Amino acid sequence: MKTISLYTNNGSWLTQLHPFTKLWYLAAAICIPLLTGSVWGFAVMIIISFVLLKSGRLIKKALPLIAFSFTIILTIFLIHGLVNQQNKNVLFAIGFLRFYKEGLLYAAHIGLNILNMLLSFAIVVLSTRPSELVDELERKGFSPRFGYIINSVFQIIPQMMGTMHTITDAQRSRGMETEGSLLVRIKAFLPLISPVVMSALTATRERAIALEVRGFGAKGLKTWMHPHQKTKADRIFSWLCIAGLILALAGRIYLWLS
Amino acid sequence: MAFLEVEHLKYRYPHTKKLALDDISFTAEKGEFIGIIGENGAGKSTLSQAFCGLVPQFYKGAYGGKVTVDGIAAATTPTAELCKKVGLIFQNPFNQLSGAKDTVWDEVAFGLENFGVPAEQIHERLDKVLHQLDIWQFREKNPFDLSGGQMQRVAIASVLAMEPEILLLDEPTSQLDPQGSEEVFHTVELLAQTGITIFMIEQKMEKLASYCDKILLLHEGKQIAFDTPEKIFSRPDLAELGICPPYVTRYCVEQHIFRPDGTYPVVVEDVKEALKRDKERKVTLPQLADTVLAEAPENRFDVRNLKFSYTEDHPIFENFQLSLDQRPTAIIGQNGAGKTTLVRLLKGLLKPSAGTILYQGEDISRRTVASLAGQVGYVFQNPDDQIFKYKVIDEVMFGPLNIGMPKEKAMEKAMEALALTELTPYAGENPYDLELSQRKLVAIASVLAMDTDVIILDEPTIAQDYSGKEIIRNIIASLSEQGKLVLAILHDMDFVAQCFSRVVVLAHGQLLADGTPSEVFVQEDVLKKAALDMPHPLQLRKALEQIQ
Repeated sequence: MKTISLYTNNGSWLTQLHPFTKLWYLAAAICIPLLTGSVWGFAVMIIISFVLLKSGRLIKKALPLIAFSFTIILTIFLIHGLVNQQNKNVLFAIGFLRFYKEGLLYAAHIGLNILNMLLSFAIVVLSTRPSELVDELERKGFSPRFGYIINSVFQIIPQMMGTMHTITDAQRSRGMETEGSLLVRIKAFLPLISPVVMSALTATRERAIALEVRGFGAKGLKTWMHPHQKTKADRIFSWLCIAGLILALAGRIYLWLS
Repeated sequence: MAFLEVEHLKYRYPHTKKLALDDISFTAEKGEFIGIIGENGAGKSTLSQAFCGLVPQFYKGAYGGKVTVDGIAAATTPTAELCKKVGLIFQNPFNQLSGAKDTVWDEVAFGLENFGVPAEQIHERLDKVLHQLDIWQFREKNPFDLSGGQMQRVAIASVLAMEPEILLLDEPTSQLDPQGSEEVFHTVELLAQTGITIFMIEQKMEKLASYCDKILLLHEGKQIAFDTPEKIFSRPDLAELGICPPYVTRYCVEQHIFRPDGTYPVVVEDVKEALKRDKERKVTLPQLADTVLAEAPENRFDVRNLKFSYTEDHPIFENFQLSLDQRPTAIIGQNGAGKTTLVRLLKGLLKPSAGTILYQGEDISRRTVASLAGQVGYVFQNPDDQIFKYKVIDEVMFGPLNIGMPKEKAMEKAMEALALTELTPYAGENPYDLELSQRKLVAIASVLAMDTDVIILDEPTIAQDYSGKEIIRNIIASLSEQGKLVLAILHDMDFVAQCFSRVVVLAHGQLLADGTPSEVFVQEDVLKKAALDMPHPLQLRKALEQIQ
């Protein structure tokens, strides 16, 4: 089955870390540079994320995300480098286009922030099985109903895509064109979408019954088949992240007070 | 006090006037295997849902009478509690998976986790049921990646793991190949021997006759009888109630063979016993009557050196050859044999990676599906994959209008198709208000109205009761008379033997046998390889030949 999850089960140390450890890293990677307020803070966290992804053999999977972000970052550089309201000092010119130092610095700040967030999220998303994260959240008291919704999205959306494919085939079999001009596509919309919606509604009712008869609404403590126990590495990693956060926060408070 | 007691149970769905269950009363003890039969709409599924409290707790509506399971009132005990005692398995395995688990192992464990069963015990139970249902090898696979039959076994395992005391199975084998369904029946029988009470809703009367202790016969929500299979299937009014008794019983009615108590035999062993008692008795042995076309059949498809695979490392067909003429042809084989892939290639929905597919001499392997729509019609297995109009007549006219038929002619063809599928009274109804069996007939009518030379039917008998099957049998006969090729994928061997002139057996993308039903169904090695059963007339013939 095609999956919409980006999780890559490559058995690396990163995939074996506890999901909460990676959430701590995510919090640290996003908050530390924001608290320090320095471009260098972003740069350091980006380098750390790169190293983590490389050592976790996930860098190839992260590259498309980075490539996608470059389009946005380039646009930001172009706009702010050329037309930011703080622009005063020209840094360089390409033909008649003059790029200003202030705008480029501002763009660098935003661009690095985007890249940093993307890479730190990539670490969590690429190395964590969604169901494992949900299980751990449920163990900590997160509602099983919300947990089910999150888990089922990863299963049911690919199923709906499969159903959509079958429905397209069924309607093409009855002579309906599904490709061509805009008008053809608009005409095909209703015959394609109606069965998807109706099937989904029918399936939802049956699935609700299926969950009910398998004790989903049962009161009492659940069992988790794969509880992820925290290891020494998890504890060290988490405390490093927490320490980084505390240091950055302390530094920020010190700067405010001084 | 009996383990399960149903007393004067009455139920009406919300916004309806007619009672879906009307004064049902019976009792069942631990370890009994009870079949529930009746035509579509008789109230079978509603009754099974009343056992686990879904009726009335989930569906609401008007409820009267009482259902008690081991002294617990089903109507007022939350289903999530009652399901510790009562397990329910539906017809469609796809919708009874939780939809939230990545592996078969986790899927089967889902119910046990919800009840807080200790992890060690879950491991033990899973180990047992996955082996019992022969799905241990799939434990790491995503359940949605399995075939329909395998998925159904996962669904059964998920409920069995919860160790219910009553197991309700609502047509659990309708999507399985013959051996797959035999495995399910055998497993369920073993469960009954361990003390679990089994209720099975089924259209396969031969299976119920073999396995059930008692049968509950329903008709339009009313309880007609609750008795032994022999007494139920010996009733003279079965045809009026929409029930076709097992082949053995039909044969015995013809041959006037009785059991000592005056009822008709329902299983082969009883026939043998009866004939052994009366050694002088000579009977006409059952046989398959092959239908032969009056004229030499015209060629339709030529499949030459076909190669196809979904993934590079797993070829479905390699150098596959097949010619199809006008004769009604059934494609049979176990789940995953390549049957649906083959018909999708013939329809142009899939493109061969090598080889050619000729339709009346023209290579169609590169033609678009829409351009073939006027020549090759294809009825998908699930009617809900195509229905989108608010009126049956509009749905049936959709295909003809798409292929450029004038509106008047499309209407004429649509009405003919509705007449053939016996849906004329429903022409103005919303298809979604009809039963699944009727929606399947709407889907068939919508393709028949396109007046194509070839009609492909993918599992047309699923969800059909006896009268529905009769309608489909008439459709096949009528289309064949018109010189059209009917190509059908089927798991019902009796229906194949009864309705088709030619049978093609597939296994793992290979053509194992090709011939008339009487030629193919005597090849026991082929049937074994393809996980198929002999049609019941041949099974009986074989058994009787041994004693004569």
